[in-house]
Amino acid sequence: MARRITEMCVLVGLLISAMPLGAHHSFGAEYDVNKPITLTGTITKVEWTNPHSHFYLDVTDSKGTVVNWKFEGYNPAVLYRVGWKKDLMLKPGDKITVSGWQARDGGNWAHSREITLPDGKKLFFGPPAGTGDGGNTPAVEVR
Amino acid sequence: MMRGFIAISILAVSLCPASMSAQTSRAAAAKSAIPRASDGKPDLTGVWQGGSTQRGSWEQANGGVGVGGSGRDPSAPVALSSNDRPANREGAPYQPWAAQKVLEAFNRRGIDDPTSQCLPAGLPRTVMLGLFPQQIVQTPTQIIMLYEYMNVFRVIPLNAKHPDDIIPSYTGNSVGRWDGDTLVVDVTGFNDKTWLAGTGTFHTEALHVTERFTRIDKDQINYEVTMEDPNVLTKPWTLRSTLMLREGTRLEEYVCAENNIDPDRYEKLLKEGVKFTRE
Repeated sequence: MARRITEMCVLVGLLISAMPLGAHHSFGAEYDVNKPITLTGTITKVEWTNPHSHFYLDVTDSKGTVVNWKFEGYNPAVLYRVGWKKDLMLKPGDKITVSGWQARDGGNWAHSREITLPDGKKLFFGPPAGTGDGGNTPAVEVR
Repeated sequence: MMRGFIAISILAVSLCPASMSAQTSRAAAAKSAIPRASDGKPDLTGVWQGGSTQRGSWEQANGGVGVGGSGRDPSAPVALSSNDRPANREGAPYQPWAAQKVLEAFNRRGIDDPTSQCLPAGLPRTVMLGLFPQQIVQTPTQIIMLYEYMNVFRVIPLNAKHPDDIIPSYTGNSVGRWDGDTLVVDVTGFNDKTWLAGTGTFHTEALHVTERFTRIDKDQINYEVTMEDPNVLTKPWTLRSTLMLREGTRLEEYVCAENNIDPDRYEKLLKEGVKFTRE
């Protein structure tokens, strides 16, 4: 019984606890959740900056044309806690694969989520799609 | 029949005190596990992560799918971003005209978020977000709260009165007192340039925030916050969250203005007529 009460308390606690996690500017306005992309290419430049970091990737398309893509992600402090090491990882010349979501205007820029490094290691470079755009439900009841 | 009843009664009588005493000793153990300061008050000193219920180091608690919001990616963590309204949360009690304004901000996908201008996130949003750690430094006479997000700090004198010449500010003026083992912080003197908790949750300078910090064991502080603003709300709005201890984590610098290109891009989206708003 006591265990059941404890379990119920835990469940109720989980249900009532508001769990806001991130605090990102709206990725949802700029990037389209319906345009997921995965690209492989060569790093040309990395900007470890606040409030967001960026990296640039040379990607060769099906016609053999090289296109430079820009990707956005977490700021340096968050990247550090995720496990990134500036200047040791994600260096210009590195061949990587990145998954994310393309900009709403269809341009060659995107919101990055997961990067696969040359040694096969996978690390998050940015939050999930839609982060910061208000989620699925407004803060107020809609009548 | 009677013998069976007696046997069950004896069993019940013998089991209940045992389970009760076990619960009592567990409660006592939990209470003793609360680190205490030299003045006997619970010691809130430490680096904490808001909006989480996971115990352990930062790496342990934020491994797997990673830290950073909900979104609609199937591999995303279940926890929500500070701009999101959790599905189980009661709607914020805004007056009808104000609720309409909140909804408009939601439909614009949060591009009007003050933090996109690199402004401080205000209260209670700053306390409840989880992407960035916060640190509490406790002394017998004042408590200092440091937030990595936007490099914000709060100095909270204990058993003091609010000054009578408060300048409205993003994080307001805080005074604290101990109510038993709970730190109660009273905050007034806000400007009207922050969101409370969720996209578009605006307020006026009349905002009054009451926070209750209760450290329930070594790893967890229960955080309860009540917001009052008769200019926009119909009644006080209370939210509950938790702060989890993150030993070994240190606060880093967050200089948001360094390379903030978001406002220009939002302007470009609007100017070029790119469809991004909700219907």
